[in-house]
Amino acid sequence: MSKHIRWGYAVNHWKPGFMGFARREEHERAFKVTSACGFEGIELNAGTGRWDPLGRPENIDINYGSARGFLRQLNDWGIESVASTFYDPGQMSFEDLHHGLLPTRRDDHAIIQRTAAIHAQFLAEVGAACLVVRPFPSYWREGSLNAERMQIAADCWNKVAESSAAIGINTVLHIDALSALRSVAELATFLNLTSRQLGLALDTAELAIAGFDTFDLCRRFHDRVRHFHFKNALATDSLQEFKLANAERALLQAGGSRKVPRWFGELEHPDGLVDFPGLLALMRELEYSGWVIVESDKGPLPAAAAMMSNGWYVQHVLRRA
Amino acid sequence: MPLSRTAPNLRWAYMDHWRVESVQGPMSQYTSLQNFDAFVKQIAAVGFEAIETFDFHLPVLRELCGSLEGCREFLQARGVDRVLSLFHGVMYDERKSAPHARQTHDQLFNYAKHIMSSSAGLGVENFIVMPAGLYYDVEPVSDEKIKACADLWSRIGKMTADYGVKTCCHHEFFCGIRSLEEIRKFYDWSDPKYVYFYCDTAQHVIAGVDPVALYSELHDRCGGFHLKDTHHVDRSEDYRRRPDAEIMAPTTPRWFWEMGTTEGLVDFPALMRAMKQHEYRGWVSVEHDKADVGGGNYPESTAVAAWYMKNVLQRIYA
Repeated sequence: MSKHIRWGYAVNHWKPGFMGFARREEHERAFKVTSACGFEGIELNAGTGRWDPLGRPENIDINYGSARGFLRQLNDWGIESVASTFYDPGQMSFEDLHHGLLPTRRDDHAIIQRTAAIHAQFLAEVGAACLVVRPFPSYWREGSLNAERMQIAADCWNKVAESSAAIGINTVLHIDALSALRSVAELATFLNLTSRQLGLALDTAELAIAGFDTFDLCRRFHDRVRHFHFKNALATDSLQEFKLANAERALLQAGGSRKVPRWFGELEHPDGLVDFPGLLALMRELEYSGWVIVESDKGPLPAAAAMMSNGWYVQHVLRRA
Repeated sequence: MPLSRTAPNLRWAYMDHWRVESVQGPMSQYTSLQNFDAFVKQIAAVGFEAIETFDFHLPVLRELCGSLEGCREFLQARGVDRVLSLFHGVMYDERKSAPHARQTHDQLFNYAKHIMSSSAGLGVENFIVMPAGLYYDVEPVSDEKIKACADLWSRIGKMTADYGVKTCCHHEFFCGIRSLEEIRKFYDWSDPKYVYFYCDTAQHVIAGVDPVALYSELHDRCGGFHLKDTHHVDRSEDYRRRPDAEIMAPTTPRWFWEMGTTEGLVDFPALMRAMKQHEYRGWVSVEHDKADVGGGNYPESTAVAAWYMKNVLQRIYA
């Protein structure tokens, strides 16, 4: 697979709260840090409101003039490419006046598809690779999936994939630790319901926390795997607390009943559960070509420290493996 | 001409003032091998190949790694070649240790010799010193006092040369040898074989001295650089203010900044052009002393400075 692997970094850890990371000089420092650590691309995070200048393409236009203007500025700061944008339709939107949409509800599809199209158009303008989407809501909100709701979600994302592919953007499905999709069987079923234009994004930490075997998924679905998120998992959800109400807060942030202080960690974290050299070897065996986005999702401050640690690990371990 | 077809003219080091954020608050990276490991990897990740640190860290380096030779192996396994320089951590006291007071010279010499004799194994090349005491302790600065300083460091420089180490003088803006006239006299009266000039860009700008012109004047004495920036020139004689100018000046809570801020006053590109003109070859160090004043942090300042090093400075001279 490794015809060519490109290394990028997700911006999510620079903006842990609603108000931070709004000023252009903060962007400048963050992207210079990213470049200095050896990463050539970034993954944006779809957001909302004027305090998230990178969260919506129209906000990027306001703050940077245009998509191309933003890319030129990134180039000046040492970042070669925008790799991707992560879009979770379950997040609230000031622009569309909702507190979260469900791909499993047909009434929500029009807004989801319109929003996805806005992001895909931006990604096409900057020459990015893919739109990373959260295909299902959290389990606590959705409950167990059934055939009908899987088909509804498949219809939603097939349409997104078709429109995005028409302008050269891949759409990839990102299964996370809280997702209503809980098993390999469900994933296989869902992939059978979806167009081959829809790919998979494998997130090492999210999958490990949820009890998936990333190596198995990589082998089993390698013809659909088109994107990776590399972050470490420091614990697994062995008590199945993804079922807790408001698990985003109760489990991921508050730690659940075990009070897990941190679910995600740096690539070389001593308590990390993910075998990155092994996974990279498998990716090479399977001739993966595309982006690997490293994340410090919910990492401790300062953000630069984790990025520098991960930069060292990529340069000195993974790239030499 | 470069040193060889493949070797660059310059190699880059990092002067350590680091702090690690922890659940116990900010702490030194030398508090555990795990913190030290993270620090070394983080600075290696952004392109630094050596560190500089204070000589009072020698005991903890020995403790963490078993020996100083073991410490160098630890560094090299992570992409950092050596501890390039030891900054001599002395708070001068006229009663026992003041370069302008000749009666304290034996004490200072013996202490420096102790540092030299106990630092083998790290690959140290430079012994960096503030060549005079705090300005208010030295003033009125006289030729006789500058000569005393020059004699001391010539004597110590000869001794450190026996260990293969250069004695390099680093002129803090608040030290007793700070003006252009004082600096010129010091280098005129010290032994050029044994006393080197260490060009700290921010310190000279704060003191009202142009570091580029000073480097050009003293380039044949130059043992290295601390590239750091400042947003302020000392226009109100903070340098002579008691009890301290460096962190207690009422006018300026933070004197030192990383390279690459828009308010920076140092003309780093001009300095790189001067290095190229004078064919400087060797190590260049990046520093941003007290980056955490006012809510900043060392990792971010270090990476921003490294970005500037790679994207601006190395395009001028590398």
